[in-house]
Amino acid sequence: MTLPDLPEMDVAPAKRSPWRNLSFVWLVPILALVVSLAVAWQSYSNKGTLITVIFKDAAGITPKDTVIKFRDVIIGAVEDVNFTKDMSNVEVSARIHKDVAATLSPETLFWVVRPEVSARGISGLSTVLSGVYIDAAWTPIEDSTAREFNGLSETPLIRPGHEGTRILIRSKNGSSLVPGAPVFFRGMEVGQLDTPRLSDSGDSTDVEAFINAPFDRFLTTDSRFWNMSGFSVTLGPAGLDLNVASLGSLLTGGVAFENVVSGGGVVSDNTMFRLFDDETSARDSIFTSVSANSVTMSVIFKESVSGLASGAPVEYRGLRIGQVTSIGAFVVKTPFRSVVNMRALITIDPQSLGLEAEAGVDAIRSFIEKLVADGMRARLATTSIFSSALKIELADIRRAAPAKLEDDADGIPVIPSVKSDLPNFTATAEGVLQRVNNLPIEDVMNQAISLMASIEAIALAKGTQLAPDALLGLIEDTRSLIGKEETQAIPGELRGVIADLRSIVAELKDRGAVDQLSSALTSFDKASSDIATASGDLPKLIEDLRAIATKVKELKAEELIASVTRVMDSTDALIGTEGARSIPPALASALAEVQTSLRELREGGAIENTNATLASARDAADAVAKAAKNFPDVTAQLDSIMFKADALIASYGAKSTFNSETLDLLRELKTAAKSVSQLARTIERNPNSLILGR
Amino acid sequence: MENAGNARHYLTARDAGLVSCTTCGRVHPGDHKTCLRCGAALSSRDTKSLQKVWAWWLAGIIAFVPANTYPMLKTATLGTETESTLLGGILELLHHGSVGIAAIVFFASIVIPASKFIAIAYLALGIGRPSRLSTHNRHVVYEVVEFVGRWSMIDVFVVAILTALVQLGSAASIHPGIAAVSFALSVAFTMLSAQSFDARLIWDADKDSP
Repeated sequence: MTLPDLPEMDVAPAKRSPWRNLSFVWLVPILALVVSLAVAWQSYSNKGTLITVIFKDAAGITPKDTVIKFRDVIIGAVEDVNFTKDMSNVEVSARIHKDVAATLSPETLFWVVRPEVSARGISGLSTVLSGVYIDAAWTPIEDSTAREFNGLSETPLIRPGHEGTRILIRSKNGSSLVPGAPVFFRGMEVGQLDTPRLSDSGDSTDVEAFINAPFDRFLTTDSRFWNMSGFSVTLGPAGLDLNVASLGSLLTGGVAFENVVSGGGVVSDNTMFRLFDDETSARDSIFTSVSANSVTMSVIFKESVSGLASGAPVEYRGLRIGQVTSIGAFVVKTPFRSVVNMRALITIDPQSLGLEAEAGVDAIRSFIEKLVADGMRARLATTSIFSSALKIELADIRRAAPAKLEDDADGIPVIPSVKSDLPNFTATAEGVLQRVNNLPIEDVMNQAISLMASIEAIALAKGTQLAPDALLGLIEDTRSLIGKEETQAIPGELRGVIADLRSIVAELKDRGAVDQLSSALTSFDKASSDIATASGDLPKLIEDLRAIATKVKELKAEELIASVTRVMDSTDALIGTEGARSIPPALASALAEVQTSLRELREGGAIENTNATLASARDAADAVAKAAKNFPDVTAQLDSIMFKADALIASYGAKSTFNSETLDLLRELKTAAKSVSQLARTIERNPNSLILGR
Repeated sequence: MENAGNARHYLTARDAGLVSCTTCGRVHPGDHKTCLRCGAALSSRDTKSLQKVWAWWLAGIIAFVPANTYPMLKTATLGTETESTLLGGILELLHHGSVGIAAIVFFASIVIPASKFIAIAYLALGIGRPSRLSTHNRHVVYEVVEFVGRWSMIDVFVVAILTALVQLGSAASIHPGIAAVSFALSVAFTMLSAQSFDARLIWDADKDSP
């Protein structure tokens, strides 16, 4: 069977889409591809930015292993270590996180952290095990393109990005400033020093210091920095003073600051501060700092200013108000001669006078003008017993010669000065002893001794043996007087003696004149008239003496001489008594004490006995002062007895041995009296002068 | 068959009009659609088999790339973190003189996975084409690939154990890298690929060939 020719059927199967039979499994490789690509992309995009840091050497830096940290967070790793083209440095290539790299400032610091052992402690210990890493510090900026940096060879002490204030400290000597040394504020470590470097001019050392926030707010323009060297030893009046700040600062030194006065301004970066040697000078320096407001004045001294130095304090009533800035000499020409005067320039701080800091020059000037009008004068004074340094003291002087504030040729006001209290003595401890030594005690003693010798000589003189019997009564009276208690006190005794002398005179008068004395009486008359001319205020005494003289004429010579002999004997006895030999007992003991003190001072070394000596000197001074209260009386009595004795002796005749010896005696007595009164005056004026020397 | 050694002809189930269950092995007449014993779907030849094989194979290849380029292990010892890739680790072992271990690792981690890819590709490409290997030998290759597949996970297994054991804080710690995951995925994909392969297709080559 044959089928008719049929058109050939298109039996080809319908074209099937090639995707129809696709399995869903194909999603898996697609997914895998996507994930893989994503991972690849992520790791590529995280690859970080390549930077180059140039170091001097690459000690410990290992490619791949060495990481770069910022604030102890890893921000990248070293990729490669190479040399620079000239082989002088090492070029470290590192990948830094993209985001971080975008903030790198061109001043970014890179340094290699290695284990480091220093006096301040051990740092970088973790790198012993983990190997070194590179630390970085910078102040972030935006959209940075900096990719090449210079690495530091050492760990920077002050890192950018830390909060705080960076200041500059200028010091004359940088030897005690160790890099990294701490900065203290009230004993707390608040910052640290950078490496000191010479200033451009080479005359000082500058060191940058970084005060950490928030402590930098304590820093003001009035802050004072001083060197806290490890320890300080001071030998002063308070004894040995040892100061040790801290063990750390003992090893590395350090700098401390404090605000000596309040109210300073805010400190900006790179403010310059001066470094003082120690805390005391830092605190004292406050007066130099306010010089902007202080007023310059001058004081002219006619005396020596030895011991006064630039920087010496100027005090008013014991309060420091300024300082001496300079001392110079200048010549004052007078019509007759040229005189060299010393001029000290001083600055006075208005604040310390209680005035406003901003008080103008005129206000301060008028203030001081007023003080001067009230008697304020400048004078030199010692700063302490133990030093010969001088200061200028503005003291209110009573009964000061009128003076006023005047401008000198330079227009600087001159504060009138007065002579210092004790210009002849350097006010040292030695000076005190010297003053004690220089008191006219020895003169008094010597004169007293020679007085005794004269009296003795008179007593032994032949003429004395012939004293009239009439004097016997005097001697009896004197003896009874000596027995009396008040004899111990010279004034009373002398009064008694005077009374006795008067009674003798009366007795002599009663007994009648002595013919042999007539010529003497004439001389006495002459002497009396001399006295009368010399001292017109003694007419009454002279009248008395004349009357006595006329009555003496009536006395018998033998009796008189005998009496005089006895007077002398009893006077001798009187003098021989302990009390009398040393005039007033108080004075005697005082002198003895002073003498002991002096001997002690001379014999023993001055230092160990200084305290005891000063104490006994004070006692001595007190005793002397006590005794001195009686001195005027004594002196007066001595004076009057002299007058009377003079008159008495004159009646014996100008040329007799007795007379001349008696005159000697009287002269001695007079000198003694003068010395005593001089001593008395000295002591009376200021008993403390013995001790304090001013 | 050009190859003289493979000249024998085998009677396949399909030729006999039968279909076997791939799950339980029971043989059914050719018109059965489901297994009478286990209820699994029956088909004489899985037509989409090759597609699946190629898909899994591709996924395995893709996963194998990061498995070799990314670090397998991250070892942190006292702050130092070391990342080692498969090849890097092998080179390091060689460097330290452990040639034997290096060889084992190289064999297990590089050679076997790579040869598996080659083998699967060879088998898949050989479907319906004449091959130098006899159908029998090709089936042996398939059996080997399927058997070895699970052992390829030994790398991942070692990494997992190390990671679990070596967690000594800062002194030493080990973390798996991206490569470990990739490698595990690669092995898994390869196994799936091998499993997707319908070995019965191998035998059809005999029938198709003249």
